[in-house]
Amino acid sequence: MKKIFFYLGIILVMSICSYNLTIHYIPNIVYAVFHYKIEKNQNIKDNEIKHFDIPSDQSRNVVMPNPDFLYSTIFYDLSEKNLNINANMPDSTYWSVSFYKPNTINWFVKNDQEFVTNNLDLTLTFNDSESENVIKSPVKKGFMIIRILVEKKDQKTIESYRTLQKNIIIN
Amino acid sequence: MKNKIIIPILILLSIIIGGYTAISNINSSTQNNEFSIKNGNWKVNPNMDLKDSYQRAYISRIGVFALDDKEALYFLSSKDNDGNPLKSDFDYQIIGTPPKGRYWSYTLYGEDYFLVKNDANIYTINKENLTKDKPILVSSSKKDINWLPSGNETKFHITLRVYNPDESVYKNLESLELPIIKKIEK
Repeated sequence: MKKIFFYLGIILVMSICSYNLTIHYIPNIVYAVFHYKIEKNQNIKDNEIKHFDIPSDQSRNVVMPNPDFLYSTIFYDLSEKNLNINANMPDSTYWSVSFYKPNTINWFVKNDQEFVTNNLDLTLTFNDSESENVIKSPVKKGFMIIRILVEKKDQKTIESYRTLQKNIIIN
Repeated sequence: MKNKIIIPILILLSIIIGGYTAISNINSSTQNNEFSIKNGNWKVNPNMDLKDSYQRAYISRIGVFALDDKEALYFLSSKDNDGNPLKSDFDYQIIGTPPKGRYWSYTLYGEDYFLVKNDANIYTINKENLTKDKPILVSSSKKDINWLPSGNETKFHITLRVYNPDESVYKNLESLELPIIKKIEK
């Protein structure tokens, strides 16, 4: 009889632990699967930028993509070096830079109106810094998204933004 | 000796039970949007800092890599103004004005939260491509103006995004006047 209670106790305690761990780590699993898919399918490594076209019904990497945006993404790794981001961004549409932890929390976002000019010049570091253009990441590894809003879908506008997007320099 | 076999089996069983229950709970939350504020048939997440692990898990299932709520608000609706699920068997009209903000858009997603296949490759009606003073129509058949195709989706969702919303929008998310999605004759 004692043994049955002992076994039930094990089931109860382990189930609760498993439940809480699953809830806690679902975002990390979603992130890891996305990371794996991008790395494998697009042949992109950490600290390399990937430019995505405007999402369509064929875009299946992430749920609820915004079909008004051009996305550029980086899985960053600051273990060995800082990440410098330089670009000449559009001057007449919304764009933003955002950073995410591997648990998918958006810990930083800054849009075009918050930058002084359309020159994007940022350094991402894991070390302490008080410089205005240096952002301290709370994690060594994470994810960055640069969004450029393409409200007008005419070919000329799309091409001009694509050109700017492709000129984003990461080093 | 017996314990050496039973205990690992029980541990494995418990891990499966706990994991399965957690995923079922999150999927159920995804369908019910229980972390959201309800305004008519729209639901919006007012707090995207995602410090709560349940909310974080829920968002990662339906809107991973969403922006902080200070940058953008995402209003989601899966029902018309009579409370019935949105289906491509019917046509709908979106009536009303989106909340004030720098940019807004209506985007249609299938039941799986991906964009819906349609021959016209139209996925969104936004501040820029809207023809003013004409109705926004959600339909599986082609419309000339302000058409948001619903494809062949049995059920679908419409997301209203507002980027850089006005301060006033945050103050009354529950009572803010939002557009309605009305079923109309095909």
